[in-house]
Amino acid sequence: MIEIKNVDFQYKGSEEAGLHDVSLSIKDGETILLCGASGCGKTTITRLINGLIPHYYKGELSGSVTVSDRDIAQTELYDLASVVGTVFQNPRSQFFAVDTDGEITFGTENIGLPPAEICRRKAEVVNELELEALLEKSLFALSGGEKQKIACASVSALMPEIIILDEPSSNLDWKAIGELKNVIRKWKENGKTIIISEHRLWYLKDLVDRVVFLENGKIVHEWNKNEFSSLTSEELQQYGLRPIKLEEKYIREFGGEMFSPESRSSDTTFEKAVTIRDMYFTYKPQKYVLFRKKLTAESSDKYTISIPKLRLPQGSVTGLIGRNGAGKSTFLRCLCGLEKSCPVKLDIDNESISGKGILKKCYMVMQDVNHQLFTDSVEAEVLLSMKSEDKEYADKLIAELGLAGFENTHPMALSGGQKQRTAICSALAANAEILLFDEPTSGLDHRHMKIVGGLLRKLAERGKTVIVSTHDPELISLCCQYLMCLENGRIKYFRKV
Amino acid sequence: MIKISLDPRTKLFMIFAVSFIVMVNAITPLEWSIRIMVTLIPILLLVTEGKYASAFRFTVFYGAALLLLKYCISESSTGIFSAILVGYCGIVAQFLPAMITAWYVIRTTKIGEFMSAMQKMHVPDGISISLAVVMRFFPTIKEEYSSINDAMKMRGISLGGGKVTKMIEYRMIPLMFSCISIGEELSAAAVTRGLGAPVKRTSPYELKMKATDFIMIGIFAVSVIIFITAKYFR
Repeated sequence: MIEIKNVDFQYKGSEEAGLHDVSLSIKDGETILLCGASGCGKTTITRLINGLIPHYYKGELSGSVTVSDRDIAQTELYDLASVVGTVFQNPRSQFFAVDTDGEITFGTENIGLPPAEICRRKAEVVNELELEALLEKSLFALSGGEKQKIACASVSALMPEIIILDEPSSNLDWKAIGELKNVIRKWKENGKTIIISEHRLWYLKDLVDRVVFLENGKIVHEWNKNEFSSLTSEELQQYGLRPIKLEEKYIREFGGEMFSPESRSSDTTFEKAVTIRDMYFTYKPQKYVLFRKKLTAESSDKYTISIPKLRLPQGSVTGLIGRNGAGKSTFLRCLCGLEKSCPVKLDIDNESISGKGILKKCYMVMQDVNHQLFTDSVEAEVLLSMKSEDKEYADKLIAELGLAGFENTHPMALSGGQKQRTAICSALAANAEILLFDEPTSGLDHRHMKIVGGLLRKLAERGKTVIVSTHDPELISLCCQYLMCLENGRIKYFRKV
Repeated sequence: MIKISLDPRTKLFMIFAVSFIVMVNAITPLEWSIRIMVTLIPILLLVTEGKYASAFRFTVFYGAALLLLKYCISESSTGIFSAILVGYCGIVAQFLPAMITAWYVIRTTKIGEFMSAMQKMHVPDGISISLAVVMRFFPTIKEEYSSINDAMKMRGISLGGGKVTKMIEYRMIPLMFSCISIGEELSAAAVTRGLGAPVKRTSPYELKMKATDFIMIGIFAVSVIIFITAKYFR
């Protein structure tokens, strides 16, 4: 039983939205979905329940939160560890160990269980979540879906009655989401209370008992399971939520092919094209003593990426799909010339470029856009990319991407979407012809996803060649004219949308 | 190849012994032979792990540095070329053995084993947890750093427009931002799983010193003792 009563919360020293007069009571064994736009307070509610507020994130808190008869404000976090378990959004930053075994047992070691009990629980969790194949591995070598499974296992080993998942599907492909769904279902069958904060709703619709909709830190709506599944796409869109049926339809359409054994290709004749040649790359290069060996077509069947020739349509958006670990990110890295051992060549506008020239023509907006902002203002960021500084053009670009008024803001003070646009701005300023996006919409709500979609289209209209890797079927239908699917680093198909 | 798995405590001792012997200035042939012998052990351990290429590359560099030190460089050598040579040989001969040992230890020790070893040695949890976090953070920093480097390459600012300060600034600022945010999320994830509970941590790893451990510790202890006597008590 979780009881949140008249809670007001404001983060200290941060403009991150808080909560206003939130009351929510959750019965044992219930599965609750928290939804709403980014910054609506979903995550804040999960933090109230797992005790991170007020013990870890400081701020002004009023009202009371009780979880299983414990007053959260008076309970130490370590006492809550075996009551409330949390799976976080970002697998990169929730692992403490570097190997899978150590991660699964981490929590049980902390609370000082006897070694025999730790081993017993580990065996049980491994068996329940079917993790045998993942044991004894480095966490850094796992795909996103596998990492999220280990995170679930680590929480499960503590046997909490309440499990919180904070946007767990952000980095997962459709199949991995299916597996996550199975894990949640198992927990539900075991009578756990489950609270999920999520943007992607389709995979949860037959699991949840109740859906709570938040807006600006307030609970605005509550639906039970039946009411929720009878909401029409239009109604959902009005709330700024992802239309469930539409998303399911797209997944059938794009995902069906993705996982079906036969591949198909349709006409891919376009007038203007960028041709990629000799894209070979491997993460396991032949052992060398002092000099690396060059990658060639001959032993290409062993390579991580092997694409002898590919034509990409210029001036349009191509979606890049494939499972977690199919080589999407590696493909993008090779295409921008970041992998030195990859002998890729590009033909653009009757000009053949290779090596360092590729880096000048291509620009990738990374998944973590924080890595590519270097200066202390948006304007400086854009000017930095130009060969000769042209302030007027820079301001024009900034205005075009809707960043007017932020010229002098520090990039780190911007929101995620604004950072992304700043990065795009600097790519345009650098005059890049090929723009690559690595999962630009992961973790974004419906509204922001649409904005990104519109932006990609605009870039294509300017004559840029845009390639976007994504797990988001709606984004594909929104902006992609072509679709390519990768499997094991090979092109499975390339077709018109 | 037989795999030799050592106890983390042995490995820790090995790091200390190797670093000590290698860093302290060696002059006499006896000191040199101890130093070389002590360097060969981690190389052999690398070979047992199947890291032939790294072991070979390291041996080549190390051997070259030793030969150069012995035959080409004397105290009277001058000029920029020999200065660079002295620098190279000094780094390779004095630091590389310690680094390769540390690399071997980090590669072959699981964090769980390490924590368990620290507990057996009655190191306070606070210290062992911080050390574990450092071990956990190395690969993360490496990942973050290389993505930032990639981003700089795409912008064509790897060299910071020729300014060293910019070169460092562009790398360090995003790196610091992302390490801070990862660190914050990481500790949030850890405290929700009971890190910091006032109970004694336990571990599923049963650590036991085996014969190989005692032999290894013996070899290193004897080497350190001989080295110290040879150097300071004659």
